[in-house]
Amino acid sequence: MAAQVAAPTAEVAASPRWRLTHRWRRYLLVLPPLTVMIAFVVCGIFADLIAPGDPGDTNLLDRLEPPVFSGGTSEYPLGTDHVGRDIWTRVVHGAQVSLIVVLTVVPGAAAFGTMIGMFAGWRGGVVGQLLMRYVDVQLALPAILFAVLLGAVLGASLWNVILILLIWTWTVYARLIRAEVLSLKEREFVVASLAAGASNWWIMRKQLLPNVFNTIVVIMTLEIPIVIVAEASLSFLGVGAPVEQATWGRMISEARNYLTHAWWVMWMPGLALMLVALSGNLVGDWLRDLLDPRLRNLG
Amino acid sequence: MEFANLLLIRLLQTILVIWVVVSIVFIFSRMIGNPETSLLPFDATNEDYERIRERLGLNDPMIVQYGRFIGDAVQGDLGYSFHRTGAALDIVAGKVLGTVKLTAAGLVVALGLGLPLGVFAALRRGSPLDWLARLIAVFGQATPSFWLGLMLIFFLATKVSWFPTAGSAGFRSLILPAFALGLLSAAGFMRLTRSGMIDVMSTDFIRTARAKGLTERTVILRHGLRHALIPVMTILGIELGRLIAGSVIIEVVFSWPGIGRLMIESILQSDYPTVQAGLVVIAASITLGNLIVDMSYRVIDPRIRMAAL
Repeated sequence: MAAQVAAPTAEVAASPRWRLTHRWRRYLLVLPPLTVMIAFVVCGIFADLIAPGDPGDTNLLDRLEPPVFSGGTSEYPLGTDHVGRDIWTRVVHGAQVSLIVVLTVVPGAAAFGTMIGMFAGWRGGVVGQLLMRYVDVQLALPAILFAVLLGAVLGASLWNVILILLIWTWTVYARLIRAEVLSLKEREFVVASLAAGASNWWIMRKQLLPNVFNTIVVIMTLEIPIVIVAEASLSFLGVGAPVEQATWGRMISEARNYLTHAWWVMWMPGLALMLVALSGNLVGDWLRDLLDPRLRNLG
Repeated sequence: MEFANLLLIRLLQTILVIWVVVSIVFIFSRMIGNPETSLLPFDATNEDYERIRERLGLNDPMIVQYGRFIGDAVQGDLGYSFHRTGAALDIVAGKVLGTVKLTAAGLVVALGLGLPLGVFAALRRGSPLDWLARLIAVFGQATPSFWLGLMLIFFLATKVSWFPTAGSAGFRSLILPAFALGLLSAAGFMRLTRSGMIDVMSTDFIRTARAKGLTERTVILRHGLRHALIPVMTILGIELGRLIAGSVIIEVVFSWPGIGRLMIESILQSDYPTVQAGLVVIAASITLGNLIVDMSYRVIDPRIRMAAL
């Protein structure tokens, strides 16, 4: 959003003062979401230090305790849920699950999708055509339904969630990278390398990959919030990570029955999810405008 | 003539998509899952398993099963539900109306919110309204729809009882789910309308229209908006697909009786025939919706009528 600040007239944009304030404004605007994302990563990595204790520990005597700022005790900073589990511990460990999923799915899908996209763009052929038709079909269909079906068939485990999300998200990379490679193929420097006898492998590694690198980074950033929300949606529908694992989606789903008299049970994981998704989007937008403004209409 | 060719190609593509869906469902449910385990009680004997496998034809080679499955599917027979009584397709058909209602209401919200906001935001750039519109766009795109639905229930159905929390009793119960479903698409429509209007309003023919002495209203609506709507039309098909897909989770949140909730229930009960039928119906309606939008768009805008697929 920061990039859509009113377009300056030529002479204003050229003045050093405007450039400086404009740049600072953009940095200041991205600071809060960036802080949230950093906090998310820190919570995920150091979950056991920040919130020691088992997120699954129940205490039936302390059920539905309110958070500390709403009349509760400091023993449960964010209150407890319907079986007396500490919500703070669960939210922090939920961040860990989300982080694990993001750190495996996003690079994995990027690597696989880039490989397929480069192959389909550079070599093409029947196999490339078939692959792209498959990509079209998958992108046209509701991923959530296939994900839920696959989740139900495979059973509840974190690895299955990761596998499902990999299958779900690699197509985006494949389609965009293929389009980029198709246009790069016609550029003089690639044609010249071919004429000079460079191998396919050398061109892909030295000329194509560096040129699509920004695109890959931008899509990866934009995919982070998408993957987090997708994982939460699967958990919400009951086909995500197993019950022992605290996930934001499952916490929200379980809290639905206590909506009226214990608002915090639903709001704590929900706010965490919303904040991280929103911040991820804002940071992604910012990075995209910084690295590759051509991709503005992507998301 | 060319138009007819195009239509034919697109129809063939639609059939291809449905075939792929049917095949994926077959692979998921037959090769990975075990339909017979969901049909028998825990204490069933090996003979029971053998009998039911024989009856369902699960002992035949996979390719034979697949051939039979496709043959039946072509005739509109997607098997009988494991858990409910009746043909799977009939059960799904009974829920179509609910999903259609919800999706249509979601589309109304998306367009009704997105278009006016986009136009006003473009005409008054930098105004509080523009900021509000952008705020809605950012939040609409970032908030998971099921969380938005739960927040709506929390504030508008439990804090103040303006709307029912769940169910499908009358028009009132449609408003919250429609809003939760439509907001994401509204954000997309708004962004496109806004940028389209900003581009159009600085063109020469708008200046000419103003110079002719037309009222500002006519200039904006008849000259400006018409042009700004073209990019909106292009994504209408995609957004329609998104709304149909999004309705699944919204139906679960609001206990709305539709295909989505039926499918989630069936998936958790391993009722594969119903899941198959539901997926086929949803995939078919998304591709058909895309087809209709695409074709009508070519009729409306002659410039791209003959352009490539």
